[in-house]
Amino acid sequence: MMFSFKIGAQAGAGVMVTGRMMAKCFTRGGFHVVEYPEYPSLVRGGHNVVEVAVSDKQMYSPTQKCDVVIALNKDAIFYHKDFVKKGGVIIYDEPIDTKQFKIPKDVHLLPVPLIKLIEKAGGNNNMINVVALASALALVEYPFEILAKVIEDEFGRKGAEIVKKNIDAATEGYNYVTENKGDVVNLVKTIKPTSNARKMLIAGNEAIALGAVKGGMKFYSAYPMTPASSILHYLFANERNFNIVVKQTEDEIAAMNYAIGASFAGVRSMTGTSGGGFALMTEALGMAALAETPIVTALVQRVGPSTGMPTWTEQADLRFALHASQGDFLRVILAPGDVDECFYLGAEAFNLAEKYQLPVIIISDKFLAETVFSTERFDEKKMKIERGKIVDNLPALEPNTRYKRYKLTKDGVSPRVFPGTPNGMHVGTSYEHDETGFSSESFIMRTKQVDKRDAKLAGLLKEIPAPEVYGPKKAPVTIVCWGSHKLPALDALGILENNGIKANVLHFSYLFPLDKNKIEKAMKQCTKTVMFENNSTGQFTGMLKQYCDVEPDFLVLKYDGRQFFAEQMAEEIGKLVKKKFKGDKDIRICEKEDLEYYNQQRYGL
Amino acid sequence: MVVSIKDLDVKEKMQWCPGCGNFGIVSALKGAIADLGLAPHETVICSGIGCSSKLPHYLDTYGFESIHGRGLPVASAIKLANNNLNVISVGGDGDGYGIGVQHFVHIMRRNYDLTYIVHNNQIYGLTTGQASPTSMMGMKTKTTPWGVIEEPFRPLATAINSGATFVARGYAGDPVHLKELIKGAIAHKGFAFVDVFQPCVTFNKINTYPWFQQRVYKLDGTHDVKDKWAAMQKAYEDEKTNYQKVPIGLFYKVEKPTYESQLPQIKDVPLVKHDLKKIDISMAYKELE
Repeated sequence: MMFSFKIGAQAGAGVMVTGRMMAKCFTRGGFHVVEYPEYPSLVRGGHNVVEVAVSDKQMYSPTQKCDVVIALNKDAIFYHKDFVKKGGVIIYDEPIDTKQFKIPKDVHLLPVPLIKLIEKAGGNNNMINVVALASALALVEYPFEILAKVIEDEFGRKGAEIVKKNIDAATEGYNYVTENKGDVVNLVKTIKPTSNARKMLIAGNEAIALGAVKGGMKFYSAYPMTPASSILHYLFANERNFNIVVKQTEDEIAAMNYAIGASFAGVRSMTGTSGGGFALMTEALGMAALAETPIVTALVQRVGPSTGMPTWTEQADLRFALHASQGDFLRVILAPGDVDECFYLGAEAFNLAEKYQLPVIIISDKFLAETVFSTERFDEKKMKIERGKIVDNLPALEPNTRYKRYKLTKDGVSPRVFPGTPNGMHVGTSYEHDETGFSSESFIMRTKQVDKRDAKLAGLLKEIPAPEVYGPKKAPVTIVCWGSHKLPALDALGILENNGIKANVLHFSYLFPLDKNKIEKAMKQCTKTVMFENNSTGQFTGMLKQYCDVEPDFLVLKYDGRQFFAEQMAEEIGKLVKKKFKGDKDIRICEKEDLEYYNQQRYGL
Repeated sequence: MVVSIKDLDVKEKMQWCPGCGNFGIVSALKGAIADLGLAPHETVICSGIGCSSKLPHYLDTYGFESIHGRGLPVASAIKLANNNLNVISVGGDGDGYGIGVQHFVHIMRRNYDLTYIVHNNQIYGLTTGQASPTSMMGMKTKTTPWGVIEEPFRPLATAINSGATFVARGYAGDPVHLKELIKGAIAHKGFAFVDVFQPCVTFNKINTYPWFQQRVYKLDGTHDVKDKWAAMQKAYEDEKTNYQKVPIGLFYKVEKPTYESQLPQIKDVPLVKHDLKKIDISMAYKELE
């Protein structure tokens, strides 16, 4: 069983909260849930939509088409009418005149007088979301008690009166649809709870934040920027519970420099931003490398260059992360593929940063950052905190000597000492330096210090696992992808299987440094490889060629602001199989769209 | 703790021009640290980039020499990470009033308990003589061959206006007076700002030792340091008198809660001492379910 709802309304009307409540209702009934929001870069006036996909089997990503649209305004009908599955239903607020739309003939309309029902229940217009949600649940005969409990949890802190009013309004909506759905009922499945086991609902950003906290992060500094801001919001909301310090700074330059300062003082620290903010951080990123100050940065990508499309998704900042800041220096780039990886890598990033005393960048994107997934509590047993070489007890130094913070070592890692420790005084510095941290322009010392920092690569490579294979070990075709695209790729396997195509997935979540041996071996085990990248130049494909001398057989690119849907991946693989893997190696796809949609966005209906 | 100036000495030679105002500032700072008995290992001096930003290398304390203009954000976070430390940030006028001016303005709104000393020589020295934000109108430099036509930045007025709780100005040619100002700044609970006239003997041929000698005078007991408006007037006295009378000393001082004192997370134990093995996030799971 797989079923999906889309709730659409004007930006600012509260569909995100409604989506979360609906997701909770189904998660609490034992289902796997993906809640996926799309919205423009506007506070009010644009169109917001949230999809809630529900399944009794493991499911990883949102779908292109849905079963039920809940339209709180006429735009929602206009935008989503062509993306309703055959036999699907559009529930809409009754006063909306639907005659102006060409509704596909196998899609059914179900008008519900939402405002009138609220009035009947003695509520106010803000409750339209709750009534609409109740209407949709009635359509699939999902038990009302679960919704009532979710309403109680959601509005409980606002007082019993508000809870009661919302439940009364919801009851009206639920009863109205139960009584009036008529012949529509035969077209929509009923959804019955399978268990009452509690699962979490968590988005990529929240999972990174939570992983970082569990991993010992004590300080987070950032400047708000979509789609990284929800890390900042989540950490601020829980700052005192987590016993950490969160700082909103004057800009991203300060955010990165704060994080470096806290790290120098001995605290696991982190910053987070999107591409534009990361551009402002790059100078200090190089300082972290030269001063060998561990630092973790969450780079949550959106569509670039420049302001681009702020609330849409892309994977085009990978090369930027790889090369950010002047000079040669080693860094680590991690790209979690789902919320579990967000959590574990969010913590592991600090181990790598501290053990190797270098910058670690967690690269994610709007798609993973803001999509909410149902998942079990994370397994904390497999986590450990490894802080690397730190000394806190030093003998008195010889007169006129200083602590060798940048001592030349074989593995490239020199013991850190934090301010407050007697006999460890030294200067952390952005200048090239000698072993004590004193600025040095000696050619020999410069070369030795570069070699020392580069020597960390050997140790690091030992820690970097091979890319992960999902699905059958051997398959005639392999989807290759990185970061968030693990999600649609795993769902594509199911679609392909239904279509009689055996495939598997080779997924990368450790993007740099790349281990040539492990990657060559993994690629050799594949028959035909098809790389999917959410950018226009195949950035990771280029890196694989450059660092590992391997190349996928086909490269499919999409850079319209949306991630690949599983359906799209399956479709492209299907076409290649049909063509017996002949034809153009470079494939580009884009979402289907009418000029009508564009005009609507610009001029209104 | 008993600390002597000798405890703060390092072997390294100070790499400044002979006669540079920075020598006076280093000796005043060392004297202040010794007089206050700050443990060197519990003291961190941050800087940006520039001639003056080399200072952390010349005292045997902890230090962090960051990038141009960023001494203050680094220093701020060191204080937040370990509020037991004495944190001092130093830098030049280009560093603090030019490229890093956003940090200067915003740090004063926050009132962290740290000290900021600006070596204000009204010129860019390390980059060999370009106009700085505090270069006087008409001054000819490599980047103003026909003379500066921009109004000079006003550090003291900006500081008073932005919420600094301790605002002072010293003169590197009077290290004894300067030492007392720095002592007051470090002892002050809150953000303490000391702008220091620091003659650049190589590139600034206008604001020389004799120029300051003729013009500076010390504020005395008749100036009420609690009076914000009086402080503002004193901050503008140089301009008002066409730079004939240039006051130095403590302009403004007020007690306000520090930023870190308002964070319960670090009230008893600084962040750096938090136990990472005892992190419980079960309430977060519960909330997400």
